[in-house]
Amino acid sequence: MSRIDEHPILGETKKGREVEFTFDGKKMKGYENEPIAIALKANGVMIHRYTKKEHKPRGLFCAIGRCTDCVMVVDGKPNIRTCVTPLKEGMEVRTQDGTKAAG
Amino acid sequence: MKRYEVIIVGAGPSGLSAAIEAAKRGVKVIVFDENEKPGGQLFKQIHKFFGSKEHHAKVRGFRIGDELLEEAAKLGVEVVLNATVVGLYSDKEVVVKIDESIHHYKGDTVIIATGAAENMVTFPGWTLPGVIGAGAAQTMMNLHGIQPGKKILMLGSGNVGLVVSFQLIQAGCEVVAIVDAAPRVGGYGVHAAKVARTGVPFYLSHTIKEVSGEDCVTGVTINEVDEHFTPIPGSEKTFDVDTVCLAVGLSPMSQLLKMAGCEMEDNPKRGGQVPIVDEYGQCSVDGIFAVGDVSGIEEASSAMIEGKMAGVCVSEYLGYIDEAEKKEELAKFDKDLSSLRQGMFAPENRGKVIEKTEEGIDISKNLLRNGFVADDEIERFPGVVHKVGVHPVIECTQNIPCNPCQDACSKGCISIGNNITCLPFVKDDSQCINCGMCVANCSGQAIFLVDEDLGDGSATVTLPYEFTPLPEVGTKGFGLSRSGEKICEAEVVSIKSVKAFDHTNLLTMKVPKEYAMKARFFKCS
Repeated sequence: MSRIDEHPILGETKKGREVEFTFDGKKMKGYENEPIAIALKANGVMIHRYTKKEHKPRGLFCAIGRCTDCVMVVDGKPNIRTCVTPLKEGMEVRTQDGTKAAG
Repeated sequence: MKRYEVIIVGAGPSGLSAAIEAAKRGVKVIVFDENEKPGGQLFKQIHKFFGSKEHHAKVRGFRIGDELLEEAAKLGVEVVLNATVVGLYSDKEVVVKIDESIHHYKGDTVIIATGAAENMVTFPGWTLPGVIGAGAAQTMMNLHGIQPGKKILMLGSGNVGLVVSFQLIQAGCEVVAIVDAAPRVGGYGVHAAKVARTGVPFYLSHTIKEVSGEDCVTGVTINEVDEHFTPIPGSEKTFDVDTVCLAVGLSPMSQLLKMAGCEMEDNPKRGGQVPIVDEYGQCSVDGIFAVGDVSGIEEASSAMIEGKMAGVCVSEYLGYIDEAEKKEELAKFDKDLSSLRQGMFAPENRGKVIEKTEEGIDISKNLLRNGFVADDEIERFPGVVHKVGVHPVIECTQNIPCNPCQDACSKGCISIGNNITCLPFVKDDSQCINCGMCVANCSGQAIFLVDEDLGDGSATVTLPYEFTPLPEVGTKGFGLSRSGEKICEAEVVSIKSVKAFDHTNLLTMKVPKEYAMKARFFKCS
């Protein structure tokens, strides 16, 4: 999905410095301290995890840290709410499968 | 265990307002909020607020948020962020999780201002990535500057569904439809009308049958429902979308109050499980207050007043002011709050079907069914008048508590009468100077400046325009009707953008004169 460069009311979006991170080993770019989920969305990633029993995809849903649908494995730690966790340089983000990293 | 005179849970509009009122009187206040940033949902609200001056009318929500934060900071209110309150006990002990540790605090008084959570509905495919809450859409586009999707279907025609639909269009997304199982639009007619005239169709008495897609949303099928909400076979319509947005109401986040042993009730008019409170938010447990959406779903303006009331009450409870001062202060807020709770959308009218305005005018049926007032209905409203030369046409057709239009006009052209909910009208003897302040100041974007006859077979219509790119003077295109249909050719003849309009640009288009009272939006060809 596209970032909004010029908003009619809000003007230009304030962004942190551009940083590199990985998603399932693939290099991606985002802005420092924006939620991980936003950086993923800007890179077209929709699936954050698969459910444990039925292996169904889940993605960003509430975007305020309440529903836990967007949890992923971040720097080896599972169940990280990517919608409220700030992106940092070099973060390793992985799709979560049940309660573990996928693959 | 650290002790505070007031512990406030939630740094949104009501919590911050409570903190400010208490701190102003010398009370030592601490506010906990689980989020990384304070302000609650205010920073996602980019539309101009309704109400009167006292309610920050015509100020955009995020600016009100800035004002509250600044005032709280000036008064030395301590706001602890990333702090999740996980426990509240009847002796006003508060348990807070900060990072990976648990902290205990004791409050002499506690104000719960935790707000509300979004409701959800389920249908086949509702768990697919791409089905999101309306709040999520606001968070993505207004806080983080990213489009939630390209093509979006909105479920829910309450104010949240309508406002977020408009914001999605502002963010450059396409809203393919607004769908609601109810037979009538739930939110303000003016919010519906400003979305409808851009060309978004409304499907009332419709609901989502299913969302399709393997890994994420690729389409959505809706169907019509009868008066018992049973799907009507054969009424299916399918849309190619990548996002489905759910705006189906809010529920109070009242768990902490229940945990503390406050008496609760299940009250559908207030949005679900709510504490039983007196008129100033005092719960059944002495010294625990509940303000804002947690004590009944309303909106930010009333939440702020409720917060102020509780801030005054705790100041008196703790001995910082006396009973007489409290009464005097509360009387002022009582007045502000009761003026907001009037009109056809007042809490007491929830669920009622209102057929006539306070003035005795039939409500537009088309507005409730399709989101816009039909051409054969609009003339009966008092703001819709015909005059020689430029004059305001006010398409405000429901009684809502709002009055910035009457202060906007320096020539005194517009009046709303005695009551804040009355429909505005244009005074007979008034002289419009075409300044555009009324157009820019109307929170509902319902005022147009019309010159019905330029003498050469054309007319001009000036409309509020809050989209990018802003068309240049000379741009040719189409005049759109109130329903968003292309009805005539149009040319942009003037664009006004001044600071006082606060990002509401005034676009003037020239149209054939027979469309002067019909064309209400401009679209480039």
